[in-house]
Amino acid sequence: MRYNIAMVSDFFYPNMGGVESHLYQLSQRLIQRGHKIIIITHSYGNRTGIRYLTNGLKVYYVPHMVIYSEATLPTIYGFFPIFRNIVKREKIDIVHGHQAFSSLCHEAILHSRTMGMKACFTDHSLFGFADASSILTNKLLKFTLSDIDHVICVSHTSKENTVLRAALNPQMVSVIPNAVVASQFKPDPGAQDPNFSKYFNTYIKVTIVVASRLVYRKGMDLLVAAIPRICQMHSKVKFIIGGDGPKRIDLEQMREKYLLHDRVELVGTLMQHEVRNLLTKGHIFLNTSLTEAFCIGIVEAACCGLLVVSTKVGGVPEVLPKHMIIFAKPEEDDLVNAVGRAIEMIRLKEVIPIKFHDEIKEMYSWVNVAERTEKVYDAIWKMRIPPLMERLRRYYGCGLWAGKIFCILIAIDYLIWRFLEWLFPEEDIEIAPAFPYQKYNKMCQMADKDDDD
Amino acid sequence: MSEININFCPFDGYFLGDEDKCSFCGFDRIFAANKNWGSLTNSPTNKREPWRKLLWIKQDYPDNYVDSTFLEELEKNVNVRAYDYWAVLKESCVISQHISSIVIFIAVFIYLYLDMLSAQNLIISGTVFTIIGYIFWDKSISKTDPSYEYKRWKTAKGAVLFFATLLCLSPILKTLTKDTSSDTIWALTVILFLANMLFHDYGSENRTNIKFPGSLSTNAAIFSSVLLASRLPSNSHVFGLMSFAIEWFALFPIFRRYIKSLSVEFNIALTCLLFMLATVLFLNISKTIVILYILGITFITFVCPFWLIWIQKYKNEIHGPWDEARPKITTY
Repeated sequence: MRYNIAMVSDFFYPNMGGVESHLYQLSQRLIQRGHKIIIITHSYGNRTGIRYLTNGLKVYYVPHMVIYSEATLPTIYGFFPIFRNIVKREKIDIVHGHQAFSSLCHEAILHSRTMGMKACFTDHSLFGFADASSILTNKLLKFTLSDIDHVICVSHTSKENTVLRAALNPQMVSVIPNAVVASQFKPDPGAQDPNFSKYFNTYIKVTIVVASRLVYRKGMDLLVAAIPRICQMHSKVKFIIGGDGPKRIDLEQMREKYLLHDRVELVGTLMQHEVRNLLTKGHIFLNTSLTEAFCIGIVEAACCGLLVVSTKVGGVPEVLPKHMIIFAKPEEDDLVNAVGRAIEMIRLKEVIPIKFHDEIKEMYSWVNVAERTEKVYDAIWKMRIPPLMERLRRYYGCGLWAGKIFCILIAIDYLIWRFLEWLFPEEDIEIAPAFPYQKYNKMCQMADKDDDD
Repeated sequence: MSEININFCPFDGYFLGDEDKCSFCGFDRIFAANKNWGSLTNSPTNKREPWRKLLWIKQDYPDNYVDSTFLEELEKNVNVRAYDYWAVLKESCVISQHISSIVIFIAVFIYLYLDMLSAQNLIISGTVFTIIGYIFWDKSISKTDPSYEYKRWKTAKGAVLFFATLLCLSPILKTLTKDTSSDTIWALTVILFLANMLFHDYGSENRTNIKFPGSLSTNAAIFSSVLLASRLPSNSHVFGLMSFAIEWFALFPIFRRYIKSLSVEFNIALTCLLFMLATVLFLNISKTIVILYILGITFITFVCPFWLIWIQKYKNEIHGPWDEARPKITTY
């Protein structure tokens, strides 16, 4: 069975991040498997309207107001008319929302259910239960996920978290990890800093790479505390730190205070294609995150043949086999010890980069992710669409007050849908022609052959 | 891989007609046909490897498989501690103390306003009590921090300079909000004292290194005193009220914290003293307020601790590996 799928999220290129590349890679692999995929996101600056990406991946940049870090203003109904129009003209069967922060995704799931379509949701992050903002987000998540066919999480820990947050049946939640494009993360033994070796030519020098946003949640305080101690204990260690953020100042101050300018290099913001060049310069990858659903960074690093040292938080313990990763508690002392052990392993040459690369290639591939996601689509395709009454009953169970409010919202949503059906009848919506992927592929192959000749 | 044709279930020898699964033991024929036979025959009791909470291995389980270990790491109410009624009752003293001190301040203002208390008396008693309080404070701090010796002179200089400035500013403070109607002043004062009460730093145990406890709270109290001062008849009244406000809202909480750290008995004694002072002062002003005040303090001291303990049973905290870790940093 081939499906027409709409991926909906606030986060897509030109914005950079894990969700964005997940959407792109997953869509590409699904297209290769014969599905039709469109992506719906909000407009980025003057990038509005429809764009085509590789292999005819169609992206709708819907004009929408952005409030905070690329998340749109939740309007509940404002997005409905244009969303209905898009899914009708693209003949969408399944709506797949991504990321709990994205209000566009929540709204799309809500409206698609009202219009009697299948919906699923992928959660990419972890939430606590204690602070006010997560209580609010969790309630909203419970609202949208009350009536959904299936949920996908990126790790087992993330699944446990989502099940608790949205009060879901765990059978309804699948775990499908992220993946890496292994060919983009090949080790390069020649890339390690030759100048650095010249100064201390007694025995092997170790470069430690950090690549993340420099924010509190990524554990930058730990890093700031640990670097001077590591530098003091191991005279032949150098740090390269990629990324930018508010904690950069702390790192710079630490560098000033301990006079580590020659040993701690801050390279600033990185583009996606520069990450590999940074990673291959190092022997050890250090991740100090305080919370992490999956942590694609450590997989990319291991793929480049780096030994990973990471804090044992969230889904991190599930991601890599023991010989590739050394865990530390999120404590300064333990982190320093763990890095010490890693340096010892590098000195004893226990790490063979190309072996790591080959192993990771087997573990995480987008083809596998797409296959597994397809199974989810197959499963939800067989599911029955609940009538309005049943939907209302589900929302009513959300809470004493919330349940009633949600029911009102759904009832209004239903009325708006009927109104839209009357105002813009389905027959009047022009059907968009599908991108001829097979033909396009054949042409590409022919062109390649010509080039080879 | 070559496909193996299985006619009999390998575990119980049951003949498989065209069923996909052995109806006797649930053995999966299709699955077995594609599986590496070596491992299956070696461990016939273990049909499947146990599920592991890992992402990097391919497991023979569907993606939505729920293992018995699901939510094993969930912890409930780990940070909850059972409260003792009397301990909570003792802790509630800080709140009743603060409320009493606000009530006393308002009473003092009313006495000044109605000319039942002269400004001179207020200034003199305020100064005397401040000096006594300072001596206490000095005695305690010089024991723990010897370097404090040198700061004494500086403190005295600072105090003199501060009160001199206040004296000079009194005429300005007096007329600052003179044009505002009294109703507005009373209403604002009530709001500001409520803010003072809500934002006051009740929890802090630290006496030596005070990062100005709840500066919002202190500011609210001083602001309301400025508002009230504009209703007073003379400059000396204004100076009296303002200096009292500073002693009462900025310095007195430090002293109270000191008393609390000293001993529980002293703390209770101070609470009772403040309570009685407030009651006596307000007896001449309004009986209703005295009754309301006594009821309020009784409620806070005796009913609220019980309420807190009772409500504890509804507490439901969830912790697990998804929580944001708190970094532990030793150097700094």
